[in-house]
Amino acid sequence: MGKGDILVPGTANGASTLRRFPFAVAMILLVAFLLLVGCGGGGGGGGQGGGEDPIRIGVILPYSGVYAQLGQDITDGMNLYFEEQGMEIAGRSVELIQEDTEANPQVGVEAARTLIERDEVEIITGTVSSAVAYGVIDLISQDQIPFVISNATGNDVTRRGIPYVFRTSASSWQVSYPMGGWLVDNGVQNVYVSAPDYAAGQEQAGGFKEGLAAAGGNLVDEAYPPLGNSDYSTYLTNISQASPQAEWSFYAGTDAVSFVRQYAEAGLKESVPLYGSGYMVEADTIEGQGDAAVGIRTGLFYASGLDNPENTAFIENFQSQFDRDPSTYAVQGYDAAWLIGEALKATEGDTDPDALVEAMEGVEFQSPRGPLSLDENHNPIQNIYIREAREQNGRIENVVIDTIENVQDPGA
Amino acid sequence: MATQAESGRKTQSFVSVHAGTIAVLAGALLLAIVPLVGSRYYVSVFTQILILSIFALSLGFLMGFPKLISLGHAAFFGVGAYAAGIFATRVDPNVVLTLGVALALSLLLALVIGVLSLRSTGIYFLMITLALAQLVYVASQQWESLTGGTNGLVGIPRPELFGLLRFDRTTFFYLVLLLAVLSYLLFRTLVRSPFGRILIGIGSNEQRMRAIGYSPRSYKLTAFVVAGAVAGLSGALWAHFNGIVTPEDLHWSHSAEALIMVIAGGAGTLIGPMLGAALIWLLESALQSYTDRSTMITGIVFILFVFFARNGIAGIAQSAWERVRR
Amino acid sequence: MSEIQTLATHMLNGLAYGFLLFILAAGLSLIFGMMDVINLSHGSFYLVGGFLGVGLVDDLGNWWLALAVSVGIVAVLGLIAEISLLRPMYNRDHLDQILLTFGLALIIEDASEWLFGTTIQSMSYPRLFSETVEVFGVVIPSYRLIVIFVGLLLAGALYLLLERTRIGSIIRAGVSDREMVSALGFNITAIFGGVFVCGLALAGFAGFIGTPILGVYSGLDFEILILTLIVVVVGGLGSLTGALWASLLIGLTQILGQAYFPSFASLIIYLVMAVVLLVRPQGLFQRRYA
Repeated sequence: MGKGDILVPGTANGASTLRRFPFAVAMILLVAFLLLVGCGGGGGGGGQGGGEDPIRIGVILPYSGVYAQLGQDITDGMNLYFEEQGMEIAGRSVELIQEDTEANPQVGVEAARTLIERDEVEIITGTVSSAVAYGVIDLISQDQIPFVISNATGNDVTRRGIPYVFRTSASSWQVSYPMGGWLVDNGVQNVYVSAPDYAAGQEQAGGFKEGLAAAGGNLVDEAYPPLGNSDYSTYLTNISQASPQAEWSFYAGTDAVSFVRQYAEAGLKESVPLYGSGYMVEADTIEGQGDAAVGIRTGLFYASGLDNPENTAFIENFQSQFDRDPSTYAVQGYDAAWLIGEALKATEGDTDPDALVEAMEGVEFQSPRGPLSLDENHNPIQNIYIREAREQNGRIENVVIDTIENVQDPGA
Repeated sequence: MATQAESGRKTQSFVSVHAGTIAVLAGALLLAIVPLVGSRYYVSVFTQILILSIFALSLGFLMGFPKLISLGHAAFFGVGAYAAGIFATRVDPNVVLTLGVALALSLLLALVIGVLSLRSTGIYFLMITLALAQLVYVASQQWESLTGGTNGLVGIPRPELFGLLRFDRTTFFYLVLLLAVLSYLLFRTLVRSPFGRILIGIGSNEQRMRAIGYSPRSYKLTAFVVAGAVAGLSGALWAHFNGIVTPEDLHWSHSAEALIMVIAGGAGTLIGPMLGAALIWLLESALQSYTDRSTMITGIVFILFVFFARNGIAGIAQSAWERVRR
Repeated sequence: MSEIQTLATHMLNGLAYGFLLFILAAGLSLIFGMMDVINLSHGSFYLVGGFLGVGLVDDLGNWWLALAVSVGIVAVLGLIAEISLLRPMYNRDHLDQILLTFGLALIIEDASEWLFGTTIQSMSYPRLFSETVEVFGVVIPSYRLIVIFVGLLLAGALYLLLERTRIGSIIRAGVSDREMVSALGFNITAIFGGVFVCGLALAGFAGFIGTPILGVYSGLDFEILILTLIVVVVGGLGSLTGALWASLLIGLTQILGQAYFPSFASLIIYLVMAVVLLVRPQGLFQRRYA
C-alpha cells in the first residue's frame, strides 16, 4: 500500500479478516464493558448496610495533571474529619464519591453533572479552579444542591451571594489585599507586581495593587506571563532593570516552582526581596523550590507553624494517618468536611437543601487556622498571616511573622 | 485496491449501498428510546456523545475525502459555542437564532482560515491550521468583555423555540439526535454528489484533477467551509448543553481529540468518526471514574487499533459484516 | 542596567532558548524529512530524558555521568520503540502513524505521572556552571551560555556529519529520494532505525539539558512537541539549516516578544509560524523536491 492511498475499509482479504475477527470480538466486549461501567456505576451504592441510605457527598477535584497534589491534600483533609466521625454522621454513613476535574472547566462540569445525575449526590464539594467553580455553580443552582468550595478563590464565587454556595478557603482579594498595606507599613513603597495571565492571577494582583494604593504605595510596573510559562528570564531581566524596592507575585503549582527557582538563580532575591500570595510558597511547591524559597514572605490564612491547640492536634493526626505533613490545602479540605459534617449533625442527617444551608450558616468552626466564621455571602472571615519561609527542623517551613486579624471580603 | 466510493459505484444490493445510512437510522431509532427507558444520566451521556459525533463527523468528512488533515478544527467548534452562548445570554435563546448565528460565524471563520491555509499541503496544512486556530484561542482568552476570559462564559440557558417550547433535558436530546442524523445525511449527500466525486479525486491525486481542468483549491475551500460550519453547529449545541464555554474548547488539544476520533473510528467513512467519538468519550470520561490509569489504557487501545484494526471501528464493523455474509 | 544591556540579556536568553529548540528539532526534522514519518512522541522522549536526569543526578551524584546514562537509556528505549512499534509503520498512512505515536505519547505521559508524580521536578545546574557571569555588564546564568555553546557545537558536528561523511551523504540522499537510496542497495531499514534512534536520543539529551532551566513535569511533553513541530515546519522538513534558523527565529522572537510586547506573549510563535507559512507554504528551507 503506497503513501497516497485512500484510507478506507474494504481491503480485507480472507487472511486478514480472519486475523482481525478476534480483535473485533475483543473490541465489542471492551465497548460493552465500558458502557456497563460507564453508565451503570451508580447502581452499586445502594446495596451496602442496613437501615438508611448513606449520605452521598460528591467530591470534584483534580486527581490528575498539574494540580493533582492539591486534590489529594484536600481529599485527605476531608477524610481526616470524616474518619474522626467514624464515617458516620447522625446515624447515617457517609460516602465520598470522587470525580477528577483535571484542570479543565468542561471536564469539571461534566464531573459535577455525572455526580448529580448518576450518583444522585446530596452535597457537592471541591474545585481547585475558579473556572470550574463558576461552571458548577450554574448546575447546582438548577438542582439546588449545596456546594462547599474547598479551594477556588475567584472573588465572584461568593460575591454573587448565591445561597447554596459556601467557601472554606478564601477570596483572591482576601489573600492579597492585606499585604499591600503591610508592605507600606514596613517601609516598602515601590513594588513591582507579576502574576500569570489568567483570571486568578489578575484577581490576586488586583487585590494587592488595591491594598498597596490604599496605603499610599507605588506600583513600579507589572508583568503578566502566560499561564504555564516555563522560562521567566525575560520578566526577571525587566524586574532587575526596573530596580524596585520589592517584588510581589502570585504563582501556583508548577509556575510557582519555576518562577521562584529562576528568581533565585538570577541572583535577584538579594537585591529585590520577593513577597507574594501564600499559594506561591506552599507544601506542594516547597520541595521543588528548595533553598530558593528561603526568605520569601507571603500572606495566607494558614501556616504550618501556627501555635494553637487545634493546629497541633490537626498536624499530629494528619501525620499519623497519612504519613506526611498537612498543607494549607489539607486545612481547606478539613474545614470543608467540618462545615458539611457539623451541619448534618444539626439537621440530624436531613439533607434537604434549605435545611442544610440554614444549618451551615450556624456552624461554629474549630479550625487549625485560628478564628474562622462565615460572612453573609458564606465566605470566611479569618486572619491573614504574614509568613516567612525558613529552614528549620531540617526542612523549609512557613513561619508566622505578623498577623492581620479578621480580614473580610468586601463583597459585591 | 477498492475504495468505499468505488464499491458504492458498483451495482450492489440495496443493503450494501446504503449500509451506512441504514446503520445510522437504526442507531438513531435505538437512541430515540433512551429517554423512555434510561435515567437522566443516560440521556446526558448520549446527548454529549451525539454532539461530539457531529464534531468528529465534520472533521471526518475533511480527512476522509479531500484528505485535508486539519489540527485547527476546534476553532470552529469554539467560535460556534461562543457565538451561541453570547447570543443566548445577551440577546435571545431562540434555538433557530443561536444556531444560525453560530453557523454563520463559524462559516465565516472557516472561509478566512481556509483561504489562508489551503495554499499549504500535508503536514504544512496541519500546522498552519493549528497556528491560526491557536490565534483564535488566545483571542478567546484575552477578549474578556465578550468571552469572560479564562473563567469562561457561564450561565448559558437551554434554548427555546419561538416561545412554543423551552427545551428540557429530553427534548434537547431529541433536537441533538435530529441534527446528528441531518448532519450525516448532509455529508452523505455531498460525498455521493458529483461535487463529492471531485473531492475524492482531489484527495487521491490532486495533480491529476488539476490536469483534467478542475481547480482543486476552490473545491477544497468549499469542503473546508461546510465542515467548519457544521463544527460550529456542534459547538453551539455543546454550549447549550453544558451551560459553559471556555477557551479550552478552542485549544489545539480539542482539535487533536477530534482528529483521534476520526482515525480511531475509521477515516474515509462517515459513520466511523461518529463511532470514534463514542469510543473516545468512553475512554476519556467513563473510564476515568474507575481507574487512575485511564490515559495509559487509552494509549494502549490506540496502538492496538493501529496494529489490529487498520481502518478503525468502521473497518472492524465492515469485516465483521463481510464475515457474516459469507 | 542600561537599555542596551537589557536588550543584550534578552538576546542571550533568546539564543539559549533557540539552541535548546534546535537540539530538539534537529532529530525530528530528519525523521520527518528523510523517513516521512510523523512522530508525535518526540516530546515524550524529552520528558523521559528530563525525569531520568532528575533521578540520576540525585542517585549518581555526578551530573556528567547522569547525563551520559540518561541519554543512553533514552536511546535504548527509542530503539525498542523503533523496532517494536515504528518499523512496521514506515510504509503506512500518516494517519496510522499519528494514532500510533499519539498512543505511545499518552502511555509515556501516564507512566511518568505514575512513577514521578504530577508535581514539577527540578534539577540543579552542574556545579561548574551554577554561578551567574557578567559579560560587559550583562548578567546571565553561565549555564545558559553553555546551552548556546552546546547547541553551536551540535550544529557544527551535524553539519560535518551530513556534508562530509559517507553516511551523511546517504542520509541526505534519503531525504531527497528514498526509493533511489534503497534501490542502490543500501540497507534503508538500518539507516532509518539509526536516524530515528539518534533523533530520539537528541530529544532525551535536550530533556536533560533543558531541565535545569525549565524543570520537568507531565504535560511538558506536549508543549515541547508542539514547539518542536513549529520549528521543524517553519524551517522546512528535512532541512538542518532550516531547523537551525527556525530555532533561533522562534527562540529570539519568543523572548523579545515577551519582553517588549508582553500582552502578545502567548501568540507570538503561532503568529510567526502563520506568517512564514503564508509567505512560504513549504517552510523557509524546503529541500525536498515537490
